[in-house]
Amino acid sequence: MKAAATLESSAAGGEPVNLADRIELRRFVGRELLLWLWLESELFEGTLATKEHGQFGLWLSGRLVLDEGQESTIIKGSAPGMNREAKEALLRGKMPERAGIHLSFGDHECTLTLRGETLAFAGLAAPRKKGDDAGGAGAGEPPPIDAPPVRRKSKKGDGDATYLADEAFYDRMHFARDVEALISALYRDFLAVRLSPSWEAHVVPALEAWVAGGDVDADRYRAARDRVVGRKRLG
Amino acid sequence: MKPLEPEDEELERSGWAKIGEPFVVDLAYEDVFFNEYVNLGFRTDRWVVPGPVLRTRVKEAEVAYLAKKGRERLSKKEKTELKLMVAKKLRRQMAPATRAVDVSWAVGEGVVRFFSHAQKPAGAMTELFKKTFGLTLIPESPYTAAVRLGLDKGQQKAWHALELTYLASGPSRQDHAAEEE
Repeated sequence: MKAAATLESSAAGGEPVNLADRIELRRFVGRELLLWLWLESELFEGTLATKEHGQFGLWLSGRLVLDEGQESTIIKGSAPGMNREAKEALLRGKMPERAGIHLSFGDHECTLTLRGETLAFAGLAAPRKKGDDAGGAGAGEPPPIDAPPVRRKSKKGDGDATYLADEAFYDRMHFARDVEALISALYRDFLAVRLSPSWEAHVVPALEAWVAGGDVDADRYRAARDRVVGRKRLG
Repeated sequence: MKPLEPEDEELERSGWAKIGEPFVVDLAYEDVFFNEYVNLGFRTDRWVVPGPVLRTRVKEAEVAYLAKKGRERLSKKEKTELKLMVAKKLRRQMAPATRAVDVSWAVGEGVVRFFSHAQKPAGAMTELFKKTFGLTLIPESPYTAAVRLGLDKGQQKAWHALELTYLASGPSRQDHAAEEE
């Protein structure tokens, strides 16, 4: 879970006054982000780009959950988005609720599950370093701890242990922040498109054709989305 | 964090501990402050007495009590007191189950990262965070992320007018919206 300790909000005409409403009534935007990432990862064959990160690998992997109300469809596999059942679920009105995502950027290679309605990560495992015995840090319920460890008396070498623990912490936090920055940049680009007329003019027709199994002109789509994203960056 | 003791009335208690070392509850400055981060372990202690064990021991205690008093039945109050006494005795023979979740507050970003998705600890941590720091946490959502990214006026207007993109091949988006209304 990620939470903002403070939040600046800007009021505008027609928007819900209540913060809870502002949050709840737009949760679907996160599901649409997943849908857009899914579409683009297939159209651009797993290679996306942002201004800050350049080109990187992103594709759906592991588990894809789509739902509408009580009904859900879970598809597992190395490429769950390519499964026909996934597109059929979209045609039945379901939207992605969470998606397993494989990321390949910089020196990082990782998988995580991104939840649409909370934009929260789960199962983000930092790449192992040489000599690491421990597995990746899961984000689920922590296991119970059996017994208090015996507190070591201060001795020579404790400084090294503390340094290593600090280094491991910083590595973990920096990795989480790198992944967050990437997802955040993608969300910013998504919003640039989603909140522009280009969404209805170019993205929705592309989505409809893609879901129906028809051809989508990837170059034309890319040109249209890049115009909007580029304009927002300049703005 | 005040660790849970067998004599305590509470069955569960949460508090702050050192990150990565949940049994270190006396926190020094260097345990908590890492440059721009405030790092803490959110520790929860809970008594987990297995139900069948508790029931058996309570039954045994009831039989012994009745034999001692030379009676055949126990009052409701006596039953409750016996159960409480047995539970406390069992707790003295065991340690509470301890769970800890890392919490990292990036003060400059105004963001708190809580490394669990389970709702109960998230709710308890939010409550304790408010009590400790006087700040109310707002869980991340598409709205909060959009606010943090900063929308221009045109985007804000479009944001407020957003409607779900509906790809279903059956009823149209308008029909779906009308049904929802």
